Amino acid sequence: MAAMEPEAIRVLLEEAFPDADRIEVEDRTGGGDHFQVTVVSPEFDEVSLIDQHRRVNEALAAPFADGSIHELRIKTKGTA
Amino acid sequence: MSTIQEQISDVIEKEPVALFMKGTPQMVMCGNSMRALQALHAAGAPITTVDILPDPRIRQELSAISGWPTIPQVFVKGELLGGADITEELVESGELQRKLDDALGAERSQDVKVVALELS
Repeated sequence: MAAMEPEAIRVLLEEAFPDADRIEVEDRTGGGDHFQVTVVSPEFDEVSLIDQHRRVNEALAAPFADGSIHELRIKTKGTA
Repeated sequence: MSTIQEQISDVIEKEPVALFMKGTPQMVMCGNSMRALQALHAAGAPITTVDILPDPRIRQELSAISGWPTIPQVFVKGELLGGADITEELVESGELQRKLDDALGAERSQDVKVVALELS
């Protein structure tokens, strides 16, 4: 389980949310496996909070599955 | 004896607020489970908890039912509310309290109950 650079997570999020106004990734512990991500995108307008979080989880499914991400905190918002 | 999947579905359907967590309210084994538990307490929710740690099948079956990958998972009236982040966010905004008022009334019980699944 290699530590992951926040930048690698940002790239995955940018691919998944090309229209996002804001994408932030913070390594909460400095250990490369506990992250806080923020995604603000017009794509989330009219989308329930739970489905917003589902989309972020899906975008990061691979590093989750291989154990690179141990814990993920998610904050999402639409732009409307 | 009913299967693990049936027991999980039963808890989700029958309990007003179900929290699938790591550990129990007396011994919480994960920071995020603690966050969800505290947020539900703050919202004045009755809480029924299920510890997912005794058997890896519990977590597998739960995620298959909910389509949600991580623990904790909170269900209100049979519907997935979300994990710790969403639960905290909805308590901070007061939305969960309103939802509980609507679903269970303002004079609702705030009991905490622990359900242990029967494992075969």
